[in-house]
Amino acid sequence: MTTARPAPDAVDPEAVESELQRVGRELAAAFPSSSRQPLRAFDARAMELATGDQELRAALFRFVDVVPACRSLDDLAHHLTGFLGEVGETPPPLAAAMRISHTRAGRAALGAAAAGGVRHLAHRFIVGESPQSALPTFRRLWNGGVASSVDLLGEATVTQSEADRYAARCNDAIAVLSRATAGWPTRPRLEADGSGPVPRANVCAKVSALTPLLAPEAPRRGQDDAARRMRPLLRAAHEAGAHLHIDMESLDSREAVLDLVLELLSEDEFAAGPSSGLVLQAYLRDSPDQTERIVAWARQRSAAAPPLTVRLVKGAYWDHELVQARQHGWEVPVFEDKADCDRNFEALSRRLLDAGSSLRVAIGSHNLRSVAHAIAYNRVSGGEDVDLELQVLRGLGDDLAHALAARGFRVRAYCPVGDLVAGMAYLVRRLLENTSNESFLSAQAQGASVQELLAAP
Amino acid sequence: MTATEQTPFANEPVLELRRASVRAGLQEALATVEARLPVEVPVRIGADRRAGDAVISTDPGAPERVVARAAAATSDEVQAAVAEASRGLARWRAVAAVDRARALRAAAAWLRERRLELTALEVRECAKPWLEADADVCEAIDFLEYYARGAIELSRGRELVQVSGERNDMSYAPRGVVAVISPWNFPLAIPCGMTSAALAVGNAVVLKPAEQSPALAGALVTALRAGGIPDAAISLLPGEGEVGAALVAHPGVHAIAFTGSLPVGREIVRSAAVVAEGQHHFKSVVAELGGKNCVIVAADADLDEAVPAIVGSAFAYAGQKCSAASRVLVAEPIADQLLERLAGAVEVLVVDQAQTLGTDVPPVIEAAARERVLRYGELAAREGTVVASAPPPDEPGWFCPALVVADLPENSSVLSDEIFGPVLAVQRVRDVEHACDVVDGLAFALTGGLFARDPETVRRVRDRTPVGNLYVNRGITGAMVGRQPFGGNRLSGTGLKAGGPDYLLQFVAQRAVSENTMRHGLVV
Ligand SMILES: Cc1cc2nc3c(=O)[nH]c(=O)nc-3n(C[C@H](O)[C@H](O)[C@H](O)COP(=O)(O)OP(=O)(O)OC[C@H]3O[C@@H](n4cnc5c(N)ncnc54)[C@H](O)[C@@H]3O)c2cc1C
Repeated sequence: MTTARPAPDAVDPEAVESELQRVGRELAAAFPSSSRQPLRAFDARAMELATGDQELRAALFRFVDVVPACRSLDDLAHHLTGFLGEVGETPPPLAAAMRISHTRAGRAALGAAAAGGVRHLAHRFIVGESPQSALPTFRRLWNGGVASSVDLLGEATVTQSEADRYAARCNDAIAVLSRATAGWPTRPRLEADGSGPVPRANVCAKVSALTPLLAPEAPRRGQDDAARRMRPLLRAAHEAGAHLHIDMESLDSREAVLDLVLELLSEDEFAAGPSSGLVLQAYLRDSPDQTERIVAWARQRSAAAPPLTVRLVKGAYWDHELVQARQHGWEVPVFEDKADCDRNFEALSRRLLDAGSSLRVAIGSHNLRSVAHAIAYNRVSGGEDVDLELQVLRGLGDDLAHALAARGFRVRAYCPVGDLVAGMAYLVRRLLENTSNESFLSAQAQGASVQELLAAP
Repeated sequence: MTATEQTPFANEPVLELRRASVRAGLQEALATVEARLPVEVPVRIGADRRAGDAVISTDPGAPERVVARAAAATSDEVQAAVAEASRGLARWRAVAAVDRARALRAAAAWLRERRLELTALEVRECAKPWLEADADVCEAIDFLEYYARGAIELSRGRELVQVSGERNDMSYAPRGVVAVISPWNFPLAIPCGMTSAALAVGNAVVLKPAEQSPALAGALVTALRAGGIPDAAISLLPGEGEVGAALVAHPGVHAIAFTGSLPVGREIVRSAAVVAEGQHHFKSVVAELGGKNCVIVAADADLDEAVPAIVGSAFAYAGQKCSAASRVLVAEPIADQLLERLAGAVEVLVVDQAQTLGTDVPPVIEAAARERVLRYGELAAREGTVVASAPPPDEPGWFCPALVVADLPENSSVLSDEIFGPVLAVQRVRDVEHACDVVDGLAFALTGGLFARDPETVRRVRDRTPVGNLYVNRGITGAMVGRQPFGGNRLSGTGLKAGGPDYLLQFVAQRAVSENTMRHGLVV
């Protein structure tokens, strides 16, 4: 149990830093050689080109984005060459691609190659079309010491029937996973911590998919509409013994999402469960205040319920938040300096870990420094490794997950499930994020030393 | 502030209503404003004020609530206002451009200090939902700030070719007395834009606002005078259509700036063409008229983005924007998908009071507007298929259902008339080329939209479209001053774009002076 922690200011920062360096190096040593680094493996050339050249990066992403809407190989090739045509200087292999597109047969060949490339890329990130079809992957991960969480990709929800369909898919995922996982072999690390059992079946849901009525200026409207679909999901999760996690999206919906989760979980019906959680985004300048609100809420919650899981992430909508604020003339709500964001991430990790057993802390990051910091602080402040969960995104954090699992940490891979059309927005976001100059993964892919990667922000 | 201290133009930030603390201020502002209703709007000519109650504006969401009691200007008052403006002109044109700009910016500051209350007044007088009302107040501020800077720029004149022995320069003088005739749908921004452009370059203005929104026009005149525009240079003539007609016909008026419907615009152009006995000028007309705005959805469009953008463009403020989307032209391969999602997205629209945050579709402006919109709704149902509707609440107020209609015959007037209400017609087209043909066949050419991802499609539509404002992969309303200069072609308008770098040119007379600098065979 983590209740016997020393006062936060009694924790020696130097001890944390040296433990962090030790843990970080240990994990780094367990990574495969750089040639197998995730960003290199699937389409080394394209990624390398994309990270180096902004115009080309834009062209390739615009292409990936439109793939599902293309109706033929010819159409695909046409789009690809259209985007490449806007790039000032086309690298030789792509210039060759554009030349062959002048004939119909050439376009068919190019279209087929491009479609294959994108499908291949998508499958790195998206584990299957449905929870059912992804089961073998989840099972393989479990056998390798990695738990999973399923995220149902979908088109934007703009109608009530789309919201109903999404809720039905979540419901189905809860049923399929809880049934299938019951037969899995025991993995004590993945199934319990100091507060008690940790469900095997774990499903993530997005509030924006549970209602078409979210409006930033009227959060209550979407919140109430989503609540009527979320209650049955909480009920289903409770009955099946599954965990339901609510993802966080852009700041436009934060108030609705946070109020929704905290209000529903405060209802009598859910006083004893299910296991559930929410997400805290450290890139937001006001995230410390949000943290206090969540910590205070968790403290006063009945002890009959499993502790609320708080997944700490940096945040996936950084560009969006920045651009939106600039277009409207608003104060930018996110940190604009990556080091500030990283330092805040570390501060919030400490704050959550200090909050003790009323919360479960999950660190969602592929940044070795951020992850090692949470592990080190937890240890130095007297916590047990088992009381910290580490989460990665499937396709991006696979090596980190295995390194962590091999060292006996509880790791969970967040696994998107859905068809290619639905997955494309997700894929594009992941690609943009990880080819940006500020990204840890791209620094790692470009061969930064362990020392650099572990340097304090 | 001196010219050298001028900061670059930046749009006034809209309220960040996603924050609860910001939303908290709205109801209080509404209460403050309600306590002051009805607002008195007198005829204001120079320092004179004459109150009256011939024109009453009411809350479209609660028609028994009187928002403003305004006087209606008489024909004598039209005469007096133009005479006063001629006197005001003499004074105002003599003021240096930087000082005129300073007054306009002071007026902007006056509005800025009262933003929430003005926004609340729009909620009441025009049933503009908060978001839209706030954007209107911000746009008014933007126009003042933008044209103030533009006028300073213009006052520097233009470079001409210089050869030895002569000195050439070109400068810009005001045209004279400008009649501004404004609509109710952007009750602060549009009168403010036309008025401030005219004033910025030294004209005097007589403002005749829409009879539906006198209170906001009254606030504008107060702001301008508080900022330091001489009383004589800005007069206010509330009233009905005949006041505007008398102004337009007055031989002492040099230019007319009008925003409104095509029939009225046509009449103004006709009347302004008459040169009266003793009138020594042609009147110029700056007219922003209607639209029948189409959004083209190509087969490779991202419907996740297209659907919400189309819904917002068609139904925000109940479709009562000249830029609003009224037709969708969707490529056959994705037509079924688009229709299904669009229908579902419209069914969840909230038709409700403007003051309720989260209202998508407020009531329309007045009883006659409601009748017109309902008539088109019935016609659309008769001639085509209603594929979705969002029902109005059972409350007094000029509510109309939000409608999506398909399968209309090509000659249906629903496809060609400007309905100015929450009615959207969807039509299948073979491809983007076909959609361009349809757009090309329309008399209006104000705004247009395109959802497509192929860069070649975007290029083709750009090249072919006649519209004044084309929006690609985004909503087609909400032009921002300085960013999306706004205005239409064909029968949608005569003018250069509002909020753009050339707009002021319509309010000036150019003067070129060439001076001989040779004296006794020497250059002096
Ligand atoms: C299991 C899991 C679940 C997740 N769930 C969510 C979720 O529900 N909601 C959500 O929003 N995100 C979620 N994320 C995504 C997560 O936010 C991004 O993957 C993450 O931001 C990448 O951070 P990192 O620590 O791995 O990498 P790093 O490379 O260390 O950090 C990259 C991040 O830093 C931030 N950043 C980039 N540039 C700057 C800058 N100039 N100034 C300040 N900050 C900058 C951005 O947030 C960017 O994503 C989840 C991630 C994981 C692993």
